[in-house]
Amino acid sequence: MPLAQIALVITLLLLPAAVSAEVAVQAYPLPPGGGPHDVAVGSDGIVWYTAQRAGQLGRLDPATGKVDLISLGPAAAPHGVIIGPDGAPWVTEGGTNSIVRVDPVTREVKHWPLPEARGYVNLNTATFDKRGRIWFTGQNGVYGRLDPASGAMQVWDAPRGRGAYGITTTPDGDIYYASLAGSHIARVDTDTGAATVIEPPTKDQGARRVWSDSRGRIWVSEWNSGNVSRYDPKTKDWKTWKLPGDRPRTYAVYVDDRDKVWLSEWTANAMVRFDPETEKFEAFPSDRRSANVRQILGRSGEVWAPESGADRLVVYRMK
Amino acid sequence: MSAGWTWLLAGSALGVAWLCLAWRPPAGADPTRGERVFQRCFACHSVVAGEDKLPGPNLRTVVGRRAGTWPGFRFSPALIEAGQVRGLVWTREALDAYLTDPDRFIPGTEMGLPGLREADDRRDVIDYLERVGRDSGPTPGRTP
Repeated sequence: MPLAQIALVITLLLLPAAVSAEVAVQAYPLPPGGGPHDVAVGSDGIVWYTAQRAGQLGRLDPATGKVDLISLGPAAAPHGVIIGPDGAPWVTEGGTNSIVRVDPVTREVKHWPLPEARGYVNLNTATFDKRGRIWFTGQNGVYGRLDPASGAMQVWDAPRGRGAYGITTTPDGDIYYASLAGSHIARVDTDTGAATVIEPPTKDQGARRVWSDSRGRIWVSEWNSGNVSRYDPKTKDWKTWKLPGDRPRTYAVYVDDRDKVWLSEWTANAMVRFDPETEKFEAFPSDRRSANVRQILGRSGEVWAPESGADRLVVYRMK
Repeated sequence: MSAGWTWLLAGSALGVAWLCLAWRPPAGADPTRGERVFQRCFACHSVVAGEDKLPGPNLRTVVGRRAGTWPGFRFSPALIEAGQVRGLVWTREALDAYLTDPDRFIPGTEMGLPGLREADDRRDVIDYLERVGRDSGPTPGRTP
């Protein structure tokens, strides 16, 4: 065997050890049949997830592995969950077309239904701005804003119709969302509510989710193209990278507290970490078939991924 | 025209009229309601000819179509396997089972819909898709 091939084999053998030495992976089994769609972890370490198929919000205590389920109503099919500035889980509740807050202590469930005239909007994801207002997307072609203090809700038509999907807030408080069907991202003026479309360089890329890094640059997971791309609002420049493997499909994106970019890639059935400095990818394949990670969120030192196809929550802890 | 032919034609016309008047959708079915239920599918699917760049395949002629087939659409391996290996065709019964619990009916499907729990929702949206399909022409992948 040539020396170069021997070196390659040795490198490949050492690689998993190097990865596992830096990142500890732990999976938490959940009650079967829930189909965990989105996940959010609070500053107290408690993890909340949407059990979309069961119409419930789940609460996991990672210290014990104990899971509690909170019913959101007979028609519920919750999609997204985030932790609000009040420490409570806030849910984009697709089944009842409403924004939902669950009190983390009393477990009281409060609904803010969308205006009936809007019809079913297929609520997707939410984010808070710096003024305590929650912004949300509806995949049938809307985005909106709720002020929990007053109960005032406004809903706008997305500029190019259906597709509004992931949404995020930058450290400066700007709001961006991705349009999956529209293959673009949009910036939302938090005062007027107007959305401005930002064209990506890749046509029909299928922008599914967005996340901001610490410098306010927007990272985009591109489902159709299998790319991850980055938009810099200051320079208005884009940069794009193709994920490794054969015909990748990039579903979710999240940027951790070290500005490393986490992605879920469905063809390889893996979580992928991208280092923007070295421009290298590192894969963490799931040990379950069709794990189907649809969203990623974390807190300092932890990245959480719901395996919707395996009824598990998986955490990647940085050492 | 002979009197016999006249009676025959009149009888046929009456028969057709009786059939038209007597026909009703399946008990409780509501075709217009099905279009509203389809709003749950609308973000990813279209029934408009030529609208083919959505996250899901066009459904205008899905009833009777072999699973995992639609020109230009990239299906999940699970859907392709269901159609090509198992020979799954989207009959009303198959659609009903899929829409009840997509992940259970085809493990590995990429469709995000968590399922339509109510039987009348499934029935009405399938009625809608069938009606849309009847108004469309021949389509690749559709069984006769």
